[in-house]
Amino acid sequence: MKINVVIVGHVDHGKSTLIGRLLYDSESINEGRVEEIQKLAEEYKRRFEFAYFLDSFDDELKEERTIDTTGVMFKSRKNLYSITDVPGHKEFIKNMLTGASHSDVAVLVVAANEGIQEQTGRHAFLVHMLGIKKLFVVINKMDIVDYSKKVFQDTRNKMSHLLASFGYHDVPFIPGSAMEGDNIYKPSQHMKWYNGTTLIDTLDNVSVERVVKPLRFVVQDTYSVDSEKVVVGRVESGTLHVGDEVIFQPSNVIAKVQKIVVYQHDLAEANRGDSIGIVVNKEVERGDVCGLPKLPPIAVTEFLGEAVLLDKKLQEGDEVELRCATRWVKCRIQRIREKINSETGEVIENNPAEISENEAALIEFSCEPVVVEKFSEIPELGRFVLVRNKNIGAGIVLETTSQK
Amino acid sequence: MPELKDLEDRTLYIIREAYAKFKKPAVLWSTGKDSTTMLWLCRKAFLGKIPFPVIHIDTGYKFRQMYEFRDRIATEWGLDLVVAKNEEAMKEGVGPQNGKFECCTRLKTQALMECLEKNGFDALILAIRRDEHGIRAKERYFSPRDESFKWNYKDQPLEMWDQYQSVTEDRTHTRVHPILHWRELDVWEYFKQENLPVNPMYFAKNGKRYRSLGCEPCTNTIDSNASNIDEIIEELRTTRIAERSGRAQDKEKAFTMQKLRALGYM
Repeated sequence: MKINVVIVGHVDHGKSTLIGRLLYDSESINEGRVEEIQKLAEEYKRRFEFAYFLDSFDDELKEERTIDTTGVMFKSRKNLYSITDVPGHKEFIKNMLTGASHSDVAVLVVAANEGIQEQTGRHAFLVHMLGIKKLFVVINKMDIVDYSKKVFQDTRNKMSHLLASFGYHDVPFIPGSAMEGDNIYKPSQHMKWYNGTTLIDTLDNVSVERVVKPLRFVVQDTYSVDSEKVVVGRVESGTLHVGDEVIFQPSNVIAKVQKIVVYQHDLAEANRGDSIGIVVNKEVERGDVCGLPKLPPIAVTEFLGEAVLLDKKLQEGDEVELRCATRWVKCRIQRIREKINSETGEVIENNPAEISENEAALIEFSCEPVVVEKFSEIPELGRFVLVRNKNIGAGIVLETTSQK
Repeated sequence: MPELKDLEDRTLYIIREAYAKFKKPAVLWSTGKDSTTMLWLCRKAFLGKIPFPVIHIDTGYKFRQMYEFRDRIATEWGLDLVVAKNEEAMKEGVGPQNGKFECCTRLKTQALMECLEKNGFDALILAIRRDEHGIRAKERYFSPRDESFKWNYKDQPLEMWDQYQSVTEDRTHTRVHPILHWRELDVWEYFKQENLPVNPMYFAKNGKRYRSLGCEPCTNTIDSNASNIDEIIEELRTTRIAERSGRAQDKEKAFTMQKLRALGYM
């Protein structure tokens, strides 16, 4: 099984080191790379660090911090992991979100000697907003606190409280040291009081369940292939069959699926994640979403969302572009209902006129017709990006008001 | 294989997004394994014919077998092939003796730059993968470049949920990386599954094979007895030697690759 894992947490709590340790102990590091890193460490007059396997920019080495997200892959005894390292600085939240957005599991790293810090809370909040349901905590740098059971328990208690406010209950906590290799890939000899599993065993026991949802097929484009019009796109949820009568929104077109095609083959059905082409007896366009008449997609012109801003300011009345799946529409910030502290999840202000960089908010959007779903029901169509010349924010749909 | 299907589905989605978004895309083809996979995936995305040009950067230093392979596949797959050359640098006799940094920059990056300018391409589809090199692990699927080709790696766009960066006014073209999430092993397993044509240089002869193909003076063989795809797959499952270990420009100095890539190298 392939699992996407993102490692999050405050700056200097040891995220990159932890990944370096996983790579090293699972023998996934190429020959020569260790020597190369040793040479670099000498050049920069530093001690050898596992983090250097991840931080490849010269500025990252000079500044001793991760600037941008990195993706690495390695195999454990059981799974193939795609592990994402993200920066722990506030100024790089954009890169953190980029790295975390495709993950199934998040590992939150907290240094035992520092406890909860600003980005610990913020990353937990963002991971929750991204809809990542599985979260584990590594209390790292246990070597610095003499592998103290008390420090571990105190940190765990405080963390449990914080995580519960984001909806995470019964989270596994692992006491470890990425630097020394305790409880990351190999069990620790220093913490006999801990009888839980190592990080890798915890990850190996993860199951990623998929609940069957109503059909949603998003249209990317229409191609002419051998004088036939083929509508290409992706099945985001559910199953599509040849012969199905489907409804496309916002075009409001009812059509029959005559063929499902991929290169050189015809298919009888297509499932979640499949990039396919379909032949239908009507014209539809990019941005349309189709479903079955029983549980059809509905186009809305208003909805309530929770979003985080990565640009300077967003004010009530601002017009931006909203992108959900392949539909890009004009949208207006109708009302900012609540400003939320992205570090704690607490409401800091009701009905503010604007929000600033790295702040989150509950926002009432009004827009041109677009198919969105509640994030809790069909996440693939319940998440959106806001664009103003560039991607400036991201959010999820909490409530929709359907158009007639 | 279900894993390969997931990789492929995502790649097809990205290629189709790029085609829907850009006015004049093109795909880069070195004739190596990754970009040949890329061409095949483009054929799949468009259900047959690739609707845009295929650029091959000719430094004049490529292996004879690479030219032969290029011409054969271009005919068989009906490619609209555009050969990019920096004629001026070639006339001047620029070569590895000028230093790898200069040689790569002038014969590859500049040749590509001229080709993009001449043809007005606004998107360039490239077959780089995260697991090839630490610097490539930092890339986005859509990566904007300015008129001087620079990669502003310190300020990369927010890229979430398959919503890729828009074109902005100060950017001349966008690099599109649809197989960023593939591993070397995936590529070979895909070759096997799809029965794709392979440049024979990848197969071992007398205990040596090429693992990554580039220009003749700067590309070395590795020790290997893998003489067919199955044996390559087996070798990759166990090896701990880096894929680009035979590529001189990666190793000359620390961060040569970063500097090359910041200037627009692939």
